[in-house]
Amino acid sequence: MTDPERVLVEGHLLECPTCRDALRSMESLRNLIKSPVEAAVEKEELPWVWQKIEREIRSEEKLSWWKGIWDWFDVTPLLRKRVLIPAVAVTVLLILLTAPLLFKKTSSYPGQSVVEYVESQTYNVMIYETENAKMTVIWLFEGPDQERSTS
Amino acid sequence: MDYDEAEVISRCQQGDADALKGIFDQYHKKVYRIAYGVVRQREDALDIVQEVFIKLFRSIKKFKGRSHFYTYLYRMTMNTAIDHTRKMKRQPPLNREEDRGVQLSDDAEKRPDRILAHKELEERVKLAMDKLPPEQKAALIFREVEGLSYQEMAEAMGCSIGTVMSRLHYGRKKIQELLKDYVLEGKEG
Repeated sequence: MTDPERVLVEGHLLECPTCRDALRSMESLRNLIKSPVEAAVEKEELPWVWQKIEREIRSEEKLSWWKGIWDWFDVTPLLRKRVLIPAVAVTVLLILLTAPLLFKKTSSYPGQSVVEYVESQTYNVMIYETENAKMTVIWLFEGPDQERSTS
Repeated sequence: MDYDEAEVISRCQQGDADALKGIFDQYHKKVYRIAYGVVRQREDALDIVQEVFIKLFRSIKKFKGRSHFYTYLYRMTMNTAIDHTRKMKRQPPLNREEDRGVQLSDDAEKRPDRILAHKELEERVKLAMDKLPPEQKAALIFREVEGLSYQEMAEAMGCSIGTVMSRLHYGRKKIQELLKDYVLEGKEG
């Protein structure tokens, strides 16, 4: 409150019994709340409380070395929503992308495939071509009977 | 010895426990006053003082200096005291009569009838304060016990000045009603 405001209020209080009553009532309430607190503070010696605080802090300092190691292994930050949700999303995406590659069916004879099979009255010819060795195998069957017996 | 608050806070933020002692020396009575204002019991108020300064040491790194340090500390004290009251409400009451009330020094004040009257009044004030919502209780203590301005209260309570005034108004009104036998009606003559 500024000085002019104070003068104004004090002037009003001289003239207004209602505001005077309200002020007295407020001061009485303040006194009820405040005076027991002030009396308690006055009687209390608090410096010994510092000794308890200091002891607590020093013991925490001793533990901080262990805490440092523990924090290093602490996974709690990973469990927070802000980290967990993107991490799960990335993992699911990676699984979706790699699954087709991992579960792709491969031939029992990798690198070898039938290039051509030719049938005729006398011989049947099958041509194999190996991919790695760059080698071509030509398989000549003597006749349809022999082929039937070997299959 | 001069108390350079900015320097002491900075040292405390670097983990210097001796710097905390500087803050304790400067503020322990104010912290005790707020704590006692809320719980109105000596032992509980002392526990709160201890808890507040330990909490402060752990969390002072978070203090960025955007508000006054004392309003930051008062807010921490008020929150700790209100939490303490909530915990106490959940626990069965202990018979701690010897802990209750003010120690009277004046000989006249030591008369049994005066002691009894004081105790009764203290108990009534405590019961009335406990019936207030925490925000109104905090506003009344900051204003009537600690004498903070509306601006300081707004900073300590993290709300607007208008909200502070509203909480104070309703808090006063309610406690006047609860303590009407003890509060002077104000009628002259």
